[in-house]
Amino acid sequence: MSLLYLLVPMALILGFCFLAGFIFAASRGQFEDLETPAHRMLLPESTPPSETTER
Amino acid sequence: MGAAVYSLRMEQAAVTDLRTARARACLHCGSRMSGPAGGDFCCAGCSAVHALLKARGLESFYSLRGSTGRGRLGLPAALPSERFSYLDDPEFLRDYADPDGRGMRLYLEGTHCAACVWLTEKLPEFVPGVERLRLDLSTGVARLRLGPAGKFSEAAEELQRLGYRPHPVRVDESEALRVREERAHLIRLGVSAMASGNIMLLAIALYAGVDGGLQRYFRWLSLALYLPVLLYSAQPFFRTAWAALRRRQASIDVPIVLGILIGTVASLVNLVLGSSHIYFDSLSAIVFLLLATRYLLRRVNQSAFRAARLMHFMAPSRARVSRGGQWVDCPTDAVQVGDLIQVLPGECFPVDGVVAAGATSLNRALLTGESLPVAVCRGAIVEAGTWNLSSPVEVEVRSRGASTRLGGILAAMEKGLTERAPIVAYADRVGRAFVVAVSVLSVVGFFVGLQYGWNEAVNRALAVAIIVCPCTFALATPLAMSLAIGKAARNGVLVKGAEVIERLGRARTVFLDKTGTLTEGELEVTNYETERPEDLEALVALESLSVHPVALAIRRRFERSQAPGARPRVAEFAEIPGWGIRGRVGGAFYEVRAIGGEGGETRVGVFRDGCLVGRVALSDRMRPDAREALDGLRALGLDAWILSGDSLGPVDRVARHLGLAPERARARTSPEGKSELVKSVPESLMVGDGANDAVALASASVGIAVRGGMEVSLRAAGAYSSRPGLMPVLGLVRLSRETLRVIRRNLVFAVLYNVVGVTWALSGGLSPLAAAILMPASALTVFLSTMAGTRALRRAFP
Repeated sequence: MSLLYLLVPMALILGFCFLAGFIFAASRGQFEDLETPAHRMLLPESTPPSETTER
Repeated sequence: MGAAVYSLRMEQAAVTDLRTARARACLHCGSRMSGPAGGDFCCAGCSAVHALLKARGLESFYSLRGSTGRGRLGLPAALPSERFSYLDDPEFLRDYADPDGRGMRLYLEGTHCAACVWLTEKLPEFVPGVERLRLDLSTGVARLRLGPAGKFSEAAEELQRLGYRPHPVRVDESEALRVREERAHLIRLGVSAMASGNIMLLAIALYAGVDGGLQRYFRWLSLALYLPVLLYSAQPFFRTAWAALRRRQASIDVPIVLGILIGTVASLVNLVLGSSHIYFDSLSAIVFLLLATRYLLRRVNQSAFRAARLMHFMAPSRARVSRGGQWVDCPTDAVQVGDLIQVLPGECFPVDGVVAAGATSLNRALLTGESLPVAVCRGAIVEAGTWNLSSPVEVEVRSRGASTRLGGILAAMEKGLTERAPIVAYADRVGRAFVVAVSVLSVVGFFVGLQYGWNEAVNRALAVAIIVCPCTFALATPLAMSLAIGKAARNGVLVKGAEVIERLGRARTVFLDKTGTLTEGELEVTNYETERPEDLEALVALESLSVHPVALAIRRRFERSQAPGARPRVAEFAEIPGWGIRGRVGGAFYEVRAIGGEGGETRVGVFRDGCLVGRVALSDRMRPDAREALDGLRALGLDAWILSGDSLGPVDRVARHLGLAPERARARTSPEGKSELVKSVPESLMVGDGANDAVALASASVGIAVRGGMEVSLRAAGAYSSRPGLMPVLGLVRLSRETLRVIRRNLVFAVLYNVVGVTWALSGGLSPLAAAILMPASALTVFLSTMAGTRALRRAFP
């Protein structure tokens, strides 16, 4: 059981990594337009999404 | 001949002459056409866009549209040709472009499917100066980025040619602030989700009976995970609660904050003392659920609003101003009082002013509801938002922007809309009641517990404060509203906000406009006979010179069957208002004039050299689903009335067709009269045209617009149906009623839960485990009950 002293923080660190990823995506506005990308991925040779984020 | 009342749209169509009757599909826009000949396109505009796409090698637009399109394409080239030189004006760029002058946001009219995304984003490939274009389909706003040598006007012209009329969007401070806030809200939500999930895992171990060092370890770890929720995620609640308290107002956030604070303090004390009463898991779960609901509500509210808010669509944003003897395009904001501007036929007046040169006829439907053309000449007053129908005029500007008559009406409407929001008042009332109830019950708990000692008294008071949960009110009601708005949007009805759903659910009386609402709103040739084929040809030739509704109907019916080159020439043409038209065709003198008609039918006689040689009967058809929708509304217990500006005959015919008593059909009602009548009845619902019935729609306790542009309609009405027919109106009323029913069910549950919880807490039997289960369980139950809705709710839209 004492292994939990180590395992729980490790799990939490992993969780924080995902949270950091989410914060990165949200602060770049990736969740603002949830409709267009779904269509855009269906388009042939669409303009490369070189920059999906601004500001 | 003045039989039918015509809507604004109709008149626009008249000017640009793009409408055709139905049967085959146009190759470009997919609208249906009739008639034996006429080619593959419904109009010259579609043909031009098709040729353009072909020349640019962009034909796959059509296959893409087929696979992912959600609707019919707009009617592109019907747009009057616009010049966009004002887009390159440095003064304009300072207000509208990005700081470096190379980026701009354009609202594109008519974008709606994957093919539109593809086509507009191809722009850099054929306009050399454009670096990139990204379209946001949900709002219709494209972000345009230019290369060093690019020009906004070139890009805008190409977009216009492709059929998407661009409007520059001003990105002001408030918009930037809104974006920042929304992102911050999402991050708060993410943090609370991560924390509450992990705290719950630890809590399971704790309730399952972990003990010793590990127990202490898990408890302190829960606190560590809870701190970001309290200090960061829950901030908005603290801020609004504090603001409400300072203004001595109650808000639903006050009891929420009270619960969070008491829960936190109690948990902290117990954590230090080593007792098992800690509530970090429940508290963070509640914060998460509340944030999630608010986020959802914001999103659905905005998706309906944003498009409507983007532009001042009612009056154009640019004008052609005389500068040193030349006509120069410039934004309306830059026009000064006293300037001379030019307005071409088919354009909308951007300002209030006086005609300085020229004479024309106007459509003033937007302001007066009167949709037959009004003639104006030099010295006459013209108003922003009216349409110029026949010839170019020069106008001296008297007022612009908010000081125009239209600006005044809009300001009044918007004020009226923000003033009345009962759901906000309701939430505040509930919030106030809760603060009082929680305080009283906690005091009761304290005194009940006092007989077992101080410690027990404090414990019971805390237990009551924690278990009394306002989240059923704060969570379930907005969630039900946002689900309803989302469902309506998926069925083509845009709803402005939660209070619209509430008012629709309470509506008792429904007023329906006739022309364009119960009927199709367009005259159609139902029957015709002529002595000789030449008479018919002469008739069409004569009518092609007029823009009267009857003339348009006749042209729609017959023009396609005639080759344009073969049309006979007309000499001595004259149009006599209120009488008819006449002219010499192929040696004979023809007159076309009204010969009476009954029951909503208009009859026109064709006279050759004074003898009657032909008849044409026209009528405005009923919408095929009008009867069914009206029966549905009456089955819901609504009292139905017809309000029309039309004469008694046609109104009576429609009433009879719908099975309405004649006294419930009001003919010859002016827009002011409609508004008075609608206002005089409490809980009224007005269904009408967003442009022509704007005043009545805004006067009713709630309005649904079934015609007219979305942007215009949503100013006056609470909801806008983008699908034809009246069934969406019935669906929306049903949906609103069922949503209110779900909310009532949730409230019953909330009361029940609170009664049980408080009794339990007062009796002192509430264990931390029971509290931990009860608190999120109550929130979860109302959540699930709201998601499930009712059977009728799921079937609200046929």
